[in-house]
Amino acid sequence: MEIRVCILLLSLVALGCSGCSLFHRQAKPDQGAQADAAADAASDANAPPPSVIEPQVERRTVKVPTIRPSNIELGAYYGEISIQDFGAQPVAGVRLDYHISEDFFAEAVYGRAKGGYTSFEQLSDIQLLSDAERRFTYYNLSLGYNLLPGEVFIGRNLAMTSAFYVIGGLGSVRFAGDQNFTVNFGAGFRVLPTDWLALHIDVQDLVFRSDVTGVEELKNNLQATIGATVFF
Amino acid sequence: MLALAAAVPAGARDHLQLFVSQPYLELHTGPGRGYPVAQVVARGEAVDVLMRRTEWFKVRTERGVEGWAYERDMLGTTLADGTPFTINLGDRAGFASHRWESGAFGGAYAGATLISAYQALSLTDNLKIELSASQYLGNLSNGYLIDFGFAHVFMPNWRLSPFVTLGGGYERVEPKATLAQPVSSSNQTAYVGLGVRYYLGRRLFLRGELRGHEVFTSQNSNEVKNEWKFGFAFFY
Repeated sequence: MEIRVCILLLSLVALGCSGCSLFHRQAKPDQGAQADAAADAASDANAPPPSVIEPQVERRTVKVPTIRPSNIELGAYYGEISIQDFGAQPVAGVRLDYHISEDFFAEAVYGRAKGGYTSFEQLSDIQLLSDAERRFTYYNLSLGYNLLPGEVFIGRNLAMTSAFYVIGGLGSVRFAGDQNFTVNFGAGFRVLPTDWLALHIDVQDLVFRSDVTGVEELKNNLQATIGATVFF
Repeated sequence: MLALAAAVPAGARDHLQLFVSQPYLELHTGPGRGYPVAQVVARGEAVDVLMRRTEWFKVRTERGVEGWAYERDMLGTTLADGTPFTINLGDRAGFASHRWESGAFGGAYAGATLISAYQALSLTDNLKIELSASQYLGNLSNGYLIDFGFAHVFMPNWRLSPFVTLGGGYERVEPKATLAQPVSSSNQTAYVGLGVRYYLGRRLFLRGELRGHEVFTSQNSNEVKNEWKFGFAFFY
């Protein structure tokens, strides 16, 4: 009951404040219009008589080209992930980056791998997980920082911009029939052969708490990947 | 080639043409403050703007040389009709008045760990429409939240600006298999909240928020679930 009263009161406050801001914005053009009208009236009094010949020249409308922003990176990666207790396995994923400034970028990642077999399973022929439960899927939302921007030179005539960056974020891993809160951190190297193409080398650790092997503990899952992205 | 380019009328150009009105315009080899200056464009010369990446503009001079110019240096240029070139800089003024913002958060929802992201569209400097998607991971259940509502920022030009939120959404609850009868459920929700934004620099700011959710369940009484989250956001 109390929360409904809170909702009602806060909605009135929010709508009232928003209404004020809307009216405030609309007041400016009106003031400008009044000033223009006064200026027109003053100029009418001193205006010369209308000319007899009206110019028949059509005004050209020049379309100003827009500037194309190119801050979004979209691409894919492939590499190896060491799923703790379940061996090193191939991993692949897609990544979406937005470059907030020349220093910072935000990143969203979705990746997939498949866990192997623990040493216990290999020795005893007992299966801890089903095939479906061995699927290792994850996503991350991260913030990156271009720590060492620079240039890469190939031969005498080719220079490419590059950056060594550090990155960290939060996300979730689905593995062994459970969904786990995950912290990811790592570093990477980005090189741009052209303005629209970037190549990446990344190393990250995905850390989550799990009891899949009987004891709840932090699981470190290191992955190393190479990838390519296209700037939009 | 240059003769052909000069013959193209101004109204049919593919790229925006600007004229340097300051003594010179520096062109760097890359889009960053550390890249060396490789070219200088003199006053009165024209450049074509090819693209923009963060605070940097890639331009091409009349001689066909390409380089990157810093956005504040580009303010010292004019359009073909002589009017100054203006752009939206990612600064405090942009923090107060912008079109879009996005962000990512960590936090808690009813005791469960929360991961959340949001997208907002500014109707005015004060009023925004927000859409947020969240996943929560708890000991007994996991789930998802989709929220849609309004945010009112009281003092958008302050570095530390408070705001209130109001809206509704949808909650998906997926109990863990360890429970006796795990049954997934979906419920509508309404929320009210308050928070603060803190401008860090450039287009980046911090954002923290508390929300109270009223979950409309199929049982006799509704549930009240509290949420807090904190993270980074950026505007554009």
